[in-house]
Amino acid sequence: MPSVWPENPRLIGTRITRLDGLVKATGKAKYPSDMHPEGMLFGAMLYSPHAHAKIKSIDLAPAERMPGVKAVMIVGAIKPGSTLRFQGDDIAAVAAETEEQAWDAVLAIKVEYEVLPHVVTEAQAVAPGAASVFKGTGIVNNQKKARSQTNGDPEKALGAPGVVSIEANYMAPVITHVCLEPHGLTVRFVGEDKIEAWASTQAVGVTAGDLAGAFGIPTTNVTVHTEVMGGGFGSKFGADIWGITAAHLSKKAGGRPVKMFLDRAHEHLGAGNRPSAIAHVKLGASKDGKLVSLIAETSGTGGAGSGSNFPLPYVYAVPNSSRTHTDIFVNGGNARAMRAPGHPQGCIVMEAAMDDLADKLGIDPLEFRLKNLKERDMVEDGFSKPTVDRTPMYLDEVAMGADLIGWKAKWKPRGKNGDGPIRRGLGMALHQWGGGGPATNQVACTINPDGSVEMKSATQDIGTGARTIFAIIAAEVLGLNVTDITSNIGNSTFPPGQPSGGSTTTPAMSPPAFNAAILARDELFVKVAPGLNAKPEDLTLADGQVCVKGEPKLPWKDACRKLGQQSIQVTGKSSPGLASQHGGVGGCQFAEVSVDIETGVVRVKKIVAIQDTGLIIDKMTWETQVYGGVIGGLNYGLFEERVMDPTVGIMLNPDMELYKLAGASDIPEIVVRAYETPAMKARGVIGVGEPPTVSTAAAIGNAVSNAIGVRVPHWPMSPKNVLDALASKEGKA
Amino acid sequence: MKAFEYVSTASADIAVKALGGVDGAILAGGTDLLSRMKDYVTTPKRVVDFNPQSVVQKETSPGGVPTWTILAGTTLADLLASKALREELPALWQAASEVGTPQIKNMATIAGNLLQRPRCWYYRSGFGLLSVKDGKNLLREGDNRYASIFHTDGDALFVAPSSLAVPLIALGASATILGPKGERTVMVSSLYQIPKRDSDRELTIGADEVLTKITLPAPQGKNATYEARQKQSHDWPLVLASVSLRFDGASVSQASIVIGGVAPIPYRAVEAEKAMFGKPVTLETAEAVAANAINGVKPLSGNVYKVALTKTVVKRALLAAVGNRYWEEV
Ligand SMILES: Cc1cc2nc3c(=O)[nH]c(=O)nc-3n(C[C@H](O)[C@H](O)[C@H](O)COP(=O)(O)OP(=O)(O)OC[C@H]3O[C@@H](n4cnc5c(N)ncnc54)[C@H](O)[C@@H]3O)c2cc1C
Repeated sequence: MPSVWPENPRLIGTRITRLDGLVKATGKAKYPSDMHPEGMLFGAMLYSPHAHAKIKSIDLAPAERMPGVKAVMIVGAIKPGSTLRFQGDDIAAVAAETEEQAWDAVLAIKVEYEVLPHVVTEAQAVAPGAASVFKGTGIVNNQKKARSQTNGDPEKALGAPGVVSIEANYMAPVITHVCLEPHGLTVRFVGEDKIEAWASTQAVGVTAGDLAGAFGIPTTNVTVHTEVMGGGFGSKFGADIWGITAAHLSKKAGGRPVKMFLDRAHEHLGAGNRPSAIAHVKLGASKDGKLVSLIAETSGTGGAGSGSNFPLPYVYAVPNSSRTHTDIFVNGGNARAMRAPGHPQGCIVMEAAMDDLADKLGIDPLEFRLKNLKERDMVEDGFSKPTVDRTPMYLDEVAMGADLIGWKAKWKPRGKNGDGPIRRGLGMALHQWGGGGPATNQVACTINPDGSVEMKSATQDIGTGARTIFAIIAAEVLGLNVTDITSNIGNSTFPPGQPSGGSTTTPAMSPPAFNAAILARDELFVKVAPGLNAKPEDLTLADGQVCVKGEPKLPWKDACRKLGQQSIQVTGKSSPGLASQHGGVGGCQFAEVSVDIETGVVRVKKIVAIQDTGLIIDKMTWETQVYGGVIGGLNYGLFEERVMDPTVGIMLNPDMELYKLAGASDIPEIVVRAYETPAMKARGVIGVGEPPTVSTAAAIGNAVSNAIGVRVPHWPMSPKNVLDALASKEGKA
Repeated sequence: MKAFEYVSTASADIAVKALGGVDGAILAGGTDLLSRMKDYVTTPKRVVDFNPQSVVQKETSPGGVPTWTILAGTTLADLLASKALREELPALWQAASEVGTPQIKNMATIAGNLLQRPRCWYYRSGFGLLSVKDGKNLLREGDNRYASIFHTDGDALFVAPSSLAVPLIALGASATILGPKGERTVMVSSLYQIPKRDSDRELTIGADEVLTKITLPAPQGKNATYEARQKQSHDWPLVLASVSLRFDGASVSQASIVIGGVAPIPYRAVEAEKAMFGKPVTLETAEAVAANAINGVKPLSGNVYKVALTKTVVKRALLAAVGNRYWEEV
């Protein structure tokens, strides 16, 4: 019989402090970049200073002669004649006794470049006669047009009598992941054919596979550890060229461990980014506010080869639509998945247009949104059946959020938010995401004769609290405290665990954890039942006791002692009904801002975030995911922007100073609420890592426009972009 | 970072000697110098760790105007801790309070702040002060959102970085400098110049000279600073203005108005100063005076928004001096 989550859980769904919170907060936790195995060398990368260049020659000899240098190599397939396609493209690497020696040696490598013409901004890339980033089928003038998607007859619908429409441009820049811990690993080549690595990764298994593949050795010879890691956001799914290079350097240096972590500039340049979005949108509705048509021509850049598409139309029912997206290629670092790939851009474009059209119609934008939800929006339950309708969920969620932000009392139409220098405004946006997890993982559960319990799997904690989740589930099943359970994760040799991407970790790992704990419990029951003169099916566990027909009979430790010399060791797999495999969640966010119209400075006063994600295992780690998502979205809304120089082709702000990020004092009151009805709980577990970051920037942009009475078409909502928008309203731009 | 020789001293004399004849640099709090060294923008052969005392004091000279003395090694945190300074020199206090972060304020010294090098992203990327490459001015052609809006006919388009220079100039402060030939005292305003060639410096202090202290006469009147900044902390001003006003009754009899973030040197708004003369500071006069502050402005392709900002910060600094903070939400 497939297992089902307990109806009245003791721990699941409550607020439980992260088990490793204290060691992280006090600095005791050892991150991969903190590892310093004996004999460790420091690695450093030489990367392209040019946006576009051909390597004429490389001479490693001067670096090899530098003091402290133990290994120098050219990376990947680089050779004389190779083309470098962006500033930050990797060329060579060094391992030396000290970090300083490694950097000095990197500078000593002699590379002759033939600098080629470049394009680093979207405008540069599409200008007539622009230099070409690379040649490929279907690429014209650095652009690759996707096939347009058309529903109905959008032109006709837009032109129909009585249709009110807007035509507008919206733009969001390229931003980067800015993981606090940079990409990299510390790696040791052991003997002829074994590798041990401490990697900052969101997928220990993939990283082990990458390293094994690079050296043609069995994956069983590779151990990748990731006890804790300092952020990935989608950009850390493998060993990367840097990790593989470090392993080569270790091998060359006779097996001395090599630590290779990118410097902050390289991190911005070459370790991934979220593509830009440029949209030309026409959106029309009937006078009473029913959407009739969307025509969107969009583009964006994901760098020197990656795509930039995003979902549009987004969330709402648009009976007629046409959409054409063009990928623009530039001499810039390539995009990587970044927290809810595509959705933040799609949300900005759709929700800005929704607000602008509501304003033109003279309808409250909240009412306008509710009017245009899909009639039915079916998503999956825990048995992969499309039985859950998201539309009524949105209605409830919007009502909750509106109440918490005070929409009824505070919202005023654009241009009606006072006439002093400081204007208040409210904005909102809806979002959606998948967030289920595949049923392919395993968790081992061990009960030892001393009563200790271990949960084990080759997943890792990207921040969602995997350790704590395992412990909660095991403690729930075994009638123990969360702190009685040891969760061991972040080791590629453990039973196969889920890579942490797509908000899949918790939904993918909770079912096998639950089943493992149940199997272990049942085996314990079989072992101790005879001694209690009971049948195994009469036994239960509660409050640290084995109970017979509900009566406490034997303390947990005494029961385990009956195992004698032999631990119980079982492996649990997933089973239907415990988690959603493809998810399908919704949510909404509201922002209240104040804008100083004389300085353009925006202050976010409050964010309200409402989110549904099925059954919640730990309310506290769930909430921290939402806080983190909102703060990430606030950065996208207010601060972040990769700034490129067109003339020399470099990134001008590859730092954490002029690449702006919120500090503690920039973060407003954030009100987080779970939409967690019995129907939601019945869907099983769904992940929450990504959805809460989707709509924040859109909601902030809408709130700013509401405050100042004019659309700010360029994200982020910087003083420059706000003042420029105000000036263009006055016809001064 | 390139390897370097290291000298540590609390004595200005020894520091001057240590700087003589080598490519040397004073290390104060290091918050600017070290980041330039790490980026190979500055590569001194010798680093002279000059760690004089952190002292702020007001001395009354019999019969004369009392003088404020701030020794070179005074940290911004110590400046901010002085209650008397906060009361009497709010323009300076306010500017210091908005610098960077608490950590930066704990390390940064007044001398280092005044003598820090431009934050221009082309200069910091190794393209030189003027960032002219193959005859093209990178800042003029490229992303100049943070660049100058005054004096933009020349090639120096970066903005002077020091927030403290702005109030200190408005307050008529002087800098005492020790060099191989002895001591000299100059107005803080003359520490800065507009470089014409890439080999010029934007600072007038010699490579073998040491700034030892800042002095200023206790102000007679009111002073204030207003800064516009994107983030609440850990950020730079986009534009800031400091004013120091003397009054004859309710009317201004003398005004100094200095603006930062708009030119390669702290920018003195002479026409605004004149316009302020003889008038009380009201919302209307402040607005009119601020409009004079942008006479002669020539923004670049991407920083027109700074013109509006400049008017705002001048207006607000004037009003702040007389206690009108109309922009604050109640
Ligand atoms: C994120 C961030 C935000 C910031 N925001 C601001 C801001 O808003 N406003 C602002 O003004 N600054 C800001 N700063 C810069 C900071 O204030 C300066 O780096 C600091 O004041 C420099 O002081 P220091 O003592 O650390 O100088 P150092 O780095 O030690 O020295 C700076 C320069 O001055 C020279 N020098 C130092 N002392 C002497 C001396 N006695 N004689 C001769 N030469 C000397 C050094 O050789 C060096 O060239 C910010 C910095 C950061 C990183």
